[in-house]
Amino acid sequence: MNAEVAAAVARLHRDRVLSADQAALFSRVARRELLSVSAELRILLYGGIVVGMAGVGLLVQQNFERVGPLAVAGALAVAAAGCLLWVHRHGSPFRWRESPSPHFAFEYLLLLAVLLVGADLAYVEAKFTPLGGAWPWHLFLVSMLAAVLAVRYDSAIVFSLALSTFAAWRGVSVVVLEKSFWSGGDAASSLRVNAIGCGAAFLLLAAMLVRLDRKAHFEPVAIHAGWILVLGALASGLGHEPVLFGVLLLAAGGGVAAFALGRARFSLFTLGVLGAYAALSALFLRARPPFEIASLWFAVTSLAVLGALLVVHRRLKPE
Amino acid sequence: MTPAAAEADRRHEVREAARGWRRASAIDDATLAAIVRVYPDDRVRLGPGFRSLAFIFTGLALNAFFFFVMAVFRPRDEALIGALAIAFGLFLCVLTDVQVGAFKRAEGGTESATALVGLAYVTGGIALLLFEVARLGERAALSWTFALAGAALATAAWRWGMPAVAALAGVCFFLLLGQGPLPRLLWIVAALVSIPALLAASEHPRVPPSHRRSLLVTLGLALAALYVCFHLGSWDAGLVESMRRGGHGLHESAWRPAAILGTALIPPVVAAFGALTRRRLFLDLGLALGVASLVTLRFYVHVAPLWVVMTLSGGAAIAAALALRRFLASGAGGEQRGLTADPLFEDPARHRSLEVAAVLVAGPAARAPATADRSLEPGGGRFGGGGASGEY
Repeated sequence: MNAEVAAAVARLHRDRVLSADQAALFSRVARRELLSVSAELRILLYGGIVVGMAGVGLLVQQNFERVGPLAVAGALAVAAAGCLLWVHRHGSPFRWRESPSPHFAFEYLLLLAVLLVGADLAYVEAKFTPLGGAWPWHLFLVSMLAAVLAVRYDSAIVFSLALSTFAAWRGVSVVVLEKSFWSGGDAASSLRVNAIGCGAAFLLLAAMLVRLDRKAHFEPVAIHAGWILVLGALASGLGHEPVLFGVLLLAAGGGVAAFALGRARFSLFTLGVLGAYAALSALFLRARPPFEIASLWFAVTSLAVLGALLVVHRRLKPE
Repeated sequence: MTPAAAEADRRHEVREAARGWRRASAIDDATLAAIVRVYPDDRVRLGPGFRSLAFIFTGLALNAFFFFVMAVFRPRDEALIGALAIAFGLFLCVLTDVQVGAFKRAEGGTESATALVGLAYVTGGIALLLFEVARLGERAALSWTFALAGAALATAAWRWGMPAVAALAGVCFFLLLGQGPLPRLLWIVAALVSIPALLAASEHPRVPPSHRRSLLVTLGLALAALYVCFHLGSWDAGLVESMRRGGHGLHESAWRPAAILGTALIPPVVAAFGALTRRRLFLDLGLALGVASLVTLRFYVHVAPLWVVMTLSGGAAIAAALALRRFLASGAGGEQRGLTADPLFEDPARHRSLEVAAVLVAGPAARAPATADRSLEPGGGRFGGGGASGEY
């Protein structure tokens, strides 16, 4: 029981701040007479999709020859079609604005459908090689399909899958960056360029979504993925060419922080401040200072950043 | 906690509940404003973004300062280093107390950083003195370290109302018991004694909300410890016994059937208790432990190939979620025995952000940069998303 809230509800009802109906509902929740298991059900659904898709992957891998390629591809296609049919039947009419989900499992089954289509396409490409040397394009196809379905059925989760699959097509995994990404070789440079390009494309997409007021509520997904890719790519170059990448990261991080602060977008602000600080420290450490000086640098600059944060926070609107 | 901090904590709890009501459109802006006026906040708080940055940079500055002092004075004597670490840690604890007390900081990042870094230095210093200076021997030094660290952490959790510190204190407590004779028995006894006491204390109306959360975290830890004691894998591997040198598995023990029963029964009992009494901690922990028990079952009993088990389990989880949702919604007012599938006053944006982040993190594996390499041959590439992956 939440004693404070239960007592507050009674007092607020007495003072006529809350109506009788409001007080009755709030009091039940505070006294633990009513508990929502919505989050648990969502986790169960999401976990089911993850485990089920892993099982599908193993099915394809282990029964490749025994079941037969057509049977595997056909089964995946039927399962994906079943999910898509259910989604289509339950889906709301198309709107460019955010629309409430018609069913609590709606987005999860749409996600499952896209994952099954992706697995099927990957399997068909691996087995029958219809794309030949251009095999990575199947990732592009999946990302486009996911994007179309995300827009049609208004799903931010599937939209994020579209972005991460698009990045995968360009050789970049949004968070689990490939090992070679951090090396100094040509492959790393190529990946870095791809990551920055992907990030820039996502940022452009984010700006367009807002400017055109088309699915503007997808913008946070695109802008966060975009900046993570750009800042991550620049940070990965610090060990290779610290001056160039350090200056670029400092400028980009500072820019993001300033942009985000002006719009009260604090997750982006955090990303920008950390990027800029990493760049500044990398540039300083390039001079190979002795350990004492390096320690002093981190002590003084961290305190300076902390002081600046507290001053900025004080000037912002209080909670 | 000081009375003023406890009172601020209680008011904060009411304001947070009111914000949840507003999010769910159960009240309007005017009502929220009226509630905030009745339950004002006198603490200095930061939002999640500023708070995390304040925590990171405070922690970085404090550690860098200590390393700077060490680098300048280069003390060679381990007793001196240990004493300096303890002194620095205690200074930070005083600093935390000043922030929480006189400066009225709460959820500000800096006080959490000074508390955690301070306690880490105190613990590290104690360990250094016990291991390298007093040379008590590994067993005694470990036991004393866990005991003293646990006492320091428990005091800090009580003083500042920090659930993370309380969790660390609980970990130290069970690690200390792990050093004793018959550690598994000690864990079982400690868990069985502490679970009802912690449950009662965590729901006592006179206990401030932060302390209640600390007690709940510790209660979860005690439940997990009890499950580990009865978990068949932990039993066979002698996981708890391995905390003492010379620990061994209990494969041949006559009590092994008790472990089998425990692995099978503890999760459903915990989940059922949670569902019947509408206690979220028990419900969630029961479900999580249930997953662990199912994985254990698959490890010991190969009823079917892994792909069958995983595909069926995934399908069963999806079907169970849909069936439960339908069952709950079919009751009067969309609830059954006080459980509802409606989100009530939770923050949907927070759940949505977590889901989107999970899909971004566990997106499909990137293609290899060298396009000449056809790694998507059987056994090569993979496609997945939302945490799933498929190998071909």
